[in-house]
Amino acid sequence: MKFRTNIEKNDKDSKELNVLIIDDNEQITKMLTTFLELNNHKCIVANDGKQGLALIQENHYDVILLDLAMPEFDGYAVIESLESKGMLKNNKIIVFTASTITQEGLDELVNRGVSSYILKPIDIDLLLSKIIQSATS
Amino acid sequence: MIPIKYILFLVSGVSSFIIFYMGLVNYITAIDGVTGIILLIFATAVSAGTLLSTTYISKSITKPIEKLAENMTEFSKTNKIINKKPINTNIKEIYELNTNFESMGKKVEETISMQNEYVEKLKHIDKKKVEFSSMVSHELKTPLVPILGYVQMLQKQELMGPLNNQQLDAINEIYSSALKLQKLVGDILTTQKLDLGKLVFNNENIQISEFLDLIIKDFTPITHLKKIQLVKEYDANDMLFSDRDRINQVFSNLIKNSIDFVVPETGQIIIGAKLDNQSMQFFVKDNGVGISMDNQKEIFKKFYQIDTSTSRKRDGSGLGLAICKGIIEGLGGKIWVESKENIGTTFYFTIPIHSMSK
Ligand SMILES: Nc1ncnc2c1ncn2[C@@H]1O[C@H](COP(=O)(O)OP(=O)(O)OP(=O)(O)O)[C@@H](O)[C@H]1O
Ligand SMILES: [Mg+2]
Repeated sequence: MKFRTNIEKNDKDSKELNVLIIDDNEQITKMLTTFLELNNHKCIVANDGKQGLALIQENHYDVILLDLAMPEFDGYAVIESLESKGMLKNNKIIVFTASTITQEGLDELVNRGVSSYILKPIDIDLLLSKIIQSATS
Repeated sequence: MIPIKYILFLVSGVSSFIIFYMGLVNYITAIDGVTGIILLIFATAVSAGTLLSTTYISKSITKPIEKLAENMTEFSKTNKIINKKPINTNIKEIYELNTNFESMGKKVEETISMQNEYVEKLKHIDKKKVEFSSMVSHELKTPLVPILGYVQMLQKQELMGPLNNQQLDAINEIYSSALKLQKLVGDILTTQKLDLGKLVFNNENIQISEFLDLIIKDFTPITHLKKIQLVKEYDANDMLFSDRDRINQVFSNLIKNSIDFVVPETGQIIIGAKLDNQSMQFFVKDNGVGISMDNQKEIFKKFYQIDTSTSRKRDGSGLGLAICKGIIEGLGGKIWVESKENIGTTFYFTIPIHSMSK
């Protein structure tokens, strides 16, 4: 059981972040968008890996939330393409996944240059703090 | 080991020499020359005949037996009857020996290839099971993401606006049920992996004293709330090389149980470790309701819960101890319980020392 106290509202002065969400599940992207917009951040959604990759190559995002398990062009494929273009480390990618990836697998992604990870189902406070941490690191 | 042909040659050599020698003696001591010569010729012929027939017997008996022996040796190495040397024989016994050996060999060969097929099939089924359970867990976790997300947003009233008390209660209930569901999905997946031997362990150096402190710290919110004492009984400085997260999971399952079965205010839980010749022995001891002898035998089984008024008020699923047992055995140790009703319960588990590093 977790006991929540009222968590202080985000510093109003904290910078508005540009967040790209790549996930094939629309209910999840909608929830994340709602949450981040309530916290005064801007969200752009890509529903598959290909579209996400194209957006990353064209624009700059403060943070990218990347789902690993997607049909066809999945999160791993996005990471690999960015890696081969030498673009993995310039982008702040937070991997989020419900799949049964091992701790070793996650550590390996971080070693390759992924900024951070969070396991689904998501603790939204933790998510927000990871987003801010990644963006400012 | 003496090859059969040497024995045959030895026997026939000795006997033909004796016959020839007797012929020679007869010839020397014979009454007249003609009888002597006849006897000598006869003896020579008999001994020569013995030698020749031995050669023939050797060819027709020992050769096929030798080949058969070679075929058998080859078969015992390869379990394959295909590469055998052909055996031609007119001798009934050898012929039967050979045909029986061949048909036996074929059966063995078939059985082995059938067994291999079964092993492959079982491996395939195992793989499908793992794939299936990881798919199910993925599918079950996905809808929990928006549920938990929105509930958490609603709970923070500064994000989505104020709630009245009834609404807040409802939201909190949804939240705790969703968390239970999440835990259950994770536990089922872990048990499935343990059953299939697919749980991966990652060993690292663990500083035991510090490790126990961190466990206690994780529980302080709830032990404070319930006014239960949770303390450490360990002052050595050992290191252990094992899977930190999994041992943590075992401690946490055991402590959660103890918290549920002690009385608030007077409840006391002690966790600790001691070096016990080939292993590090950990324990979680409580002064709770205890477990009867009969139930002590059952509690490590999957989904087993003792039916008492206390346990009916809890909301476990009976997987906690089964997971503990699976993890500890996977790490090469043992887990057991000692308990007296109305006095308390102690769970012990060991991690073998060979997995310790300096
Ligand atoms: N410290 C304890 N004191 C008394 N009874 C216990 C103790 N620990 C376990 N038990 C009994 O053993 C049963 C099995 O425990 P186990 O941890 O496997 O399942 P659970 O706690 O009921 O559910 P879960 O751990 O899956 O949430 C419990 O239901 C309880 O009846
Ligand atoms: Mg339990």
